[in-house]
Amino acid sequence: MSLLKAEGLTKHFGGVAAVDGLSLHVEDGEILGLIGPNGSGKTTALNLLSGFLAAERGTVWLEGEDVSGMTTVALARRGMLRMFQMTRVFPRISAYDNLLTAGLARGLAKRESEARAAALLEELTLSAVQYLDAGQLSGGQRKLLEFGMCFIAPPRLALLDEPFAAVHPVMRETMARFIRRRNEKGHAFLVVSHDMPIVVELCHRTACMNAGKLIAMGPTREVLKDPAVIEAYLGSGAHA
Amino acid sequence: MSGARNLWDNRLRADFRAALAVVALLAFVPLFVSSPYWLGVLIVSIYFALLSLGWNLLAGFTGQFSLAPAAFAMLGAYATGLLNYHLKAPLAIGIPAAIAGTALLGWLLGRIVLRLKGPYLALTTLSFAEIARVIIGNSYEFTRGDQGLNVPTLMQSRVGYYYLFLAVLLATLVALYFLMRARAGRFWLAIRDDATGAESRGIDVVRYKTLAFALSCAICGLAGSLYGTFSQLVSPELGLLLQTGLVISMVVIGGIGTLTGPVIGALLVYLSSEWLRSVGNIQLIVFSIVVIVFARFMRTGLWGLTR
Repeated sequence: MSLLKAEGLTKHFGGVAAVDGLSLHVEDGEILGLIGPNGSGKTTALNLLSGFLAAERGTVWLEGEDVSGMTTVALARRGMLRMFQMTRVFPRISAYDNLLTAGLARGLAKRESEARAAALLEELTLSAVQYLDAGQLSGGQRKLLEFGMCFIAPPRLALLDEPFAAVHPVMRETMARFIRRRNEKGHAFLVVSHDMPIVVELCHRTACMNAGKLIAMGPTREVLKDPAVIEAYLGSGAHA
Repeated sequence: MSGARNLWDNRLRADFRAALAVVALLAFVPLFVSSPYWLGVLIVSIYFALLSLGWNLLAGFTGQFSLAPAAFAMLGAYATGLLNYHLKAPLAIGIPAAIAGTALLGWLLGRIVLRLKGPYLALTTLSFAEIARVIIGNSYEFTRGDQGLNVPTLMQSRVGYYYLFLAVLLATLVALYFLMRARAGRFWLAIRDDATGAESRGIDVVRYKTLAFALSCAICGLAGSLYGTFSQLVSPELGLLLQTGLVISMVVIGGIGTLTGPVIGALLVYLSSEWLRSVGNIQLIVFSIVVIVFARFMRTGLWGLTR
């Protein structure tokens, strides 16, 4: 049984099919990459999977349970958490308080949440800025903080939307290391990214979307050699 | 501000201690002020401090900009007055009923405006406030309309009323302090900062927004109910938008999103308003200018200057 399975997900905006009959699955303990050119429907797919958008058609199962139409909050409580392309931290409270609040939201007791917040700040190299309001952190630090908020109570599956975009290489390595460590502990990820070296390095399998449709899915290196994927990224004739 | 002082628990504790210090200072005032007129002015200031704390819970801590705090005070006052007028209900029933009734109405309003933000939320709550005021003003048979409704008093002593209002202010501050320290308080701050982000972390935004609406309206309802028994006459004027404007001025000037700010803001604005009355009826012009200056240059208000 797959950890997450989606079949036939469809969503239109106006007359345009943003996601058109998407089917994919994430296995337990796996990192699945989701790639595709701009406007291919990756973020909409993530919104459908995480309950931010309602699908017109299609079904989503989480650990075998039909979770189609469930709210984001209900999915978060089942352990499926979402990280956004534009970071969503709470800017007017400290980085430490952001983590503490995230822990409480996942049902942890305050003391437990405090202990985990301190450990995560250390691991994410954010201890020096823990007392600053999150709004004062750099873009990269905010992304790291959002990682911490996702993982204060380990999720069954983390959906990460462009976590490496516009981030300093050192911080990008911190994030990649964080994902690898968590994956070694058995946590699963669905990572949307344009950063191919990181996708190759991290993702066990990769799915590629174009114009709302899934055009390839399989082991990462094979998918990146797929002519349909090359054409979607570089245009027709690129692989000739 | 940096360092551990910036952690929410520490900020809140310092804020709460300052608010307690203000209440302690107010407790000594009747030793020096014996004029019934000025005691009355101070009682009304504390009434506005309660409204400001209620509005601040919604706007300052949860990020929901309502234009109905004065309307809920009016509804609380009328709930107590009407229960006595029609059913001869004693104040021991009328005051709790005002709190429960305004909390329920606030919860309903919260559900209605759940998806609205910014100007849409403000306009919807303004419409609610005006509709409530017009209905009360026009229902002469039931409410005595613009003539006003007599409300029995709790006591004759003005000093007694002063301490009653002060005790209610203290109880409200203590309740808000413990709420803001708890899970609910942190979730409200998260919703204020980023409702979508809060939802994605697993915070039930619908539940906590409506809870904030209900509690905020209950505080305003309680304040209105007590004010009705103090003035012994309530009229639809209690719910005028002008009153809500004063409440917003008080919170912005004192310091939005804090416990001390709304209290010192209410005291300063209302006492200055009484002083300006002798200069001429120019209070609103002065406060509007002051609010613009604060909104532009000192967004954290007077209390924020101490941070």
